[in-house]
Amino acid sequence: MFMPNTELHDNTQPVQLNPTNPIGPSKTPDLGGFRKIRSTGEPIPNPIPGLASDVLEMRVKEGSKIRNLLGFAMSRIEGDGQTQVLFSGTGRAVTKTITCAEIMKRKVAGLHQVSKLQYRTVTEVWESQESQMTVHRTLPSICILLSKEPLDPHEPGYQPPVETNTLSEEHRQVDGVQGSGKTEKRPLSPCDHPGLKRAALGKD
Amino acid sequence: MAEPRSPVSASVPHNPIVLAAPEGSTLEMDPIEFTLRKRLPRKLPKRRNDVYVNMKTDFKAQLARCQKLLDAHREICIHGLGLAINRAINIALQLQTSSQGALQLAANTSTVELIDDLEPEDPDEAGEHLTRTRNNSAIHIKVFYPNP
Repeated sequence: MFMPNTELHDNTQPVQLNPTNPIGPSKTPDLGGFRKIRSTGEPIPNPIPGLASDVLEMRVKEGSKIRNLLGFAMSRIEGDGQTQVLFSGTGRAVTKTITCAEIMKRKVAGLHQVSKLQYRTVTEVWESQESQMTVHRTLPSICILLSKEPLDPHEPGYQPPVETNTLSEEHRQVDGVQGSGKTEKRPLSPCDHPGLKRAALGKD
Repeated sequence: MAEPRSPVSASVPHNPIVLAAPEGSTLEMDPIEFTLRKRLPRKLPKRRNDVYVNMKTDFKAQLARCQKLLDAHREICIHGLGLAINRAINIALQLQTSSQGALQLAANTSTVELIDDLEPEDPDEAGEHLTRTRNNSAIHIKVFYPNP
């Protein structure tokens, strides 16, 4: 497995290099032969104040299935009387974390939301046949708290519950799309008919 | 908003699109015969301190633009849709880090409805224009200096 491509924010620096490395400590070893054997994230203090003690924490990973995550969270919030769910994800799982929260808000009406962003340091251990390398990566992280009970509206990142039905209807009226089907027919505009365009221009 | 982008053939999924036939039976159409045109998302009102992050422009260039706007307006709003969510968060956190924690972030999430046009490649079926609606996550980050 190759070393993942890092961007400006990733602050990737090798910390330990095995002395048996044939290239020497001054150069980074050829990353082609390296594979990740361990990845540990430092435990971060919870960024959202006023969390309930029994909050359900859903840690979203890059490979997590949204169906599994939401299936578990929905059963707890609807069946077991859970009032708060905290979705958290780091790196490539951030988009999936937001998607989970958005789907849950649509399925469960009246959820208050607080979102927090922060950096999280992840330590990765890469090894090849001859050497081992430890890498510290600083990755973006998001925490989204969804609560049935009201939260502090003055907290940065607070979102009040919204009526999803009215929102989607407004969108459809603006876009001129009827119904909510996946695949719909739309009327042809005159510019879509090549024959009509030619006739209008007087070229036939 | 409604103007279509350039056609994308590779994005069409390979499961057949099922359409309702007049008699009530279902009619299967091979999606490979369609050209997928992704429409642009709905336009949001753009203010001077709004930044719409994309994946095509260089990261450093977008970061520099945000920093310049922040110096001028003291408050900016960074928007990211889909894949650009990660980049939008990165820009916001980079700005906060470079300000030694003086900046505050307020992140809001939303769902954006996107419409794709499916245009048949067969010229005989030129009238059969179809649209497909899908949802995409978005983030809106307000980066600001708190009141002293």
